[in-house]
Amino acid sequence: MNKIIRILLVEDDQLDAMDIRRSLDKLNILYKMIVAKNGEEALEVLNGNHEEHFDELPDMVLIDINMPRMNGIELLNTIRNTEEWKELKCFIITTSDEKVDKERANELGVSGYIIKPFKVNSSSLDSFNLMIDLMNMKAGSL
Amino acid sequence: MRISHLIFLSFTLILLLFTVTTYINYRQSEKVRENTEYMTMSTNMMRSANRVQRNIVHMVSGLRGFLLTGENYFLQAYDSASIENAALIKEIALILPDTSNQEALLVEIDSLNNQWINEFTGPLRDAKLNAEKSVKNEAYYDRLYKEKMYVSDESQINLVLNRKIREFISLEYESREKRQQLLSASIQETKAISFSLTILSIIAGFSVVSFLAYRISRRIAIMVRMADAIASGNFEVQTEEQGTDELSGLARSLNHMASMLSGSFNELKRKNRELDQFAHIVSHDMKTPLRGIGNVVTWIEEDHNEELTPKVEEYLGLIKGRVERGEHLIQGLLSYSRIGKEQQQLEAVNIKEIVDEVLENYNLETNMKVQLSPKLPVIYTHKVPLFHVLSNLITNAIKYNNKEQPVISVYHKEFQNHYEFFVKDNGPGISKNYHEKIFVIFQTLHAKEQVESTGVGLAIVKKILDSRNETISVESVPGVGSVFSFTWKKSVSNE
Repeated sequence: MNKIIRILLVEDDQLDAMDIRRSLDKLNILYKMIVAKNGEEALEVLNGNHEEHFDELPDMVLIDINMPRMNGIELLNTIRNTEEWKELKCFIITTSDEKVDKERANELGVSGYIIKPFKVNSSSLDSFNLMIDLMNMKAGSL
Repeated sequence: MRISHLIFLSFTLILLLFTVTTYINYRQSEKVRENTEYMTMSTNMMRSANRVQRNIVHMVSGLRGFLLTGENYFLQAYDSASIENAALIKEIALILPDTSNQEALLVEIDSLNNQWINEFTGPLRDAKLNAEKSVKNEAYYDRLYKEKMYVSDESQINLVLNRKIREFISLEYESREKRQQLLSASIQETKAISFSLTILSIIAGFSVVSFLAYRISRRIAIMVRMADAIASGNFEVQTEEQGTDELSGLARSLNHMASMLSGSFNELKRKNRELDQFAHIVSHDMKTPLRGIGNVVTWIEEDHNEELTPKVEEYLGLIKGRVERGEHLIQGLLSYSRIGKEQQQLEAVNIKEIVDEVLENYNLETNMKVQLSPKLPVIYTHKVPLFHVLSNLITNAIKYNNKEQPVISVYHKEFQNHYEFFVKDNGPGISKNYHEKIFVIFQTLHAKEQVESTGVGLAIVKKILDSRNETISVESVPGVGSVFSFTWKKSVSNE
């Protein structure tokens, strides 16, 4: 039985979200992805207060950094400081290759830092592979 | 107090001291001169007094000779001595100062002399002269002679006269002695006073000069340090100055200048930071929509390939090309705005290795010829900016080259504190009109389709060199080639 992977994507740009969805589609995996447009909306999804939400916690959270209202770093901070979420697997997917952002993300314990554009075989291959591995581990009998 | 006033005052003081010294010395010389005059006078007077005394002796002996022998020449001796004495005594009376206590003595001498002549020697002489004329006269002479010589006190008067003259002379000696002593004392005193005044003025002069020198040079030194600090870019300097003199005015102007510069400089820094931030944010935010356009075009090509007419496919290709160029521009702008923000570490940088690293990408593809100066140096400096500079210059030299066989040379000159590096090519060259323009961001001399060029490379080079106070220049002959040269310090102060 193929396990459905729960992915929460926090991304304010619709086209970027579509791009990621297309890339995931090519991987032949079963997944359910909810897109939140900013950090606040992501918290609502995790809380179950959003119209779309998962029955359990997501298997992974993909977070953009530059977003309106609550940015990715603030969201990560909240997640790490909340008891029931602090073990969540989080990835940063961003256009920013600033050293400051990378360091901040590492301090907050991200599983990977991927620089857009999000493409298979791109320079973010290592992080991407790690993500796939994680999903495979979760998927177990895939 | 103003420095000019201080200098004026101190010079006046010194001049005053010297004037006093000169005046005292002048007074002393007057005294010496007076004394010399007095000595001359005194010597004359004593000589005269001595002669008077001697003449009296002559008179006595002359008279005696005449009285005994009746010879005329004895009489002449007596007469001439007598006449001379009268003149001498008058002369002494003339030169004797009015204030002298010897005057009474001289009057006494005069009257004694007169008395001696009138009462004794004169009558005897006359009587003897007439004695030969008659017997009666001779009898009178004999009587007179006995009366004057044996009965009266002629010898007594003569004695007193002689004593008085001696007294007069010795008095003169004493007074001379006294004056001499006074003069020596006053010379001593004058010497002491002028010596102390001279020493005093030397000390005063020396202390004023050293005070001024210390005061002025110390403050100038402070201001020089301040100006140096300002020149080296540290505007946060101020010097304490409460005085009212010219140097205080200068110090206040310096303070004012420093604070004005500091204000303008901080404003400039803030503006530059804002500009960099602006460039950074704008380019960052523009990345997302550009990528979005690119993505959609890709999706159309991937998912709807069969539905596309060749014309639409061509147009889509054009869109992708422009998107790509936009992304390059944004990337360039980001790199440009990022210069100077990275933390840098000092390390030994081998220029040859950098050049080789840059050339690696090109060596295979053409028959390009590369000439490197044999001893490119190793510098202990920041590697990343130096790499950017060299890599941009070398890349440009290759990228824009239009010759069959491109020839690229990299060489250097060593100076005391810095190196100058040269990157030379045999490319199309750059007309002098553009030598300034090429360093401005987004300026390129080529049509965008012709060569992949964003116009950022040289702007980055210029910005890196400017931020490190290095210089870049270009020499070029259109059609023959260009030489770009830049300086690089041998050692960097790690700020």
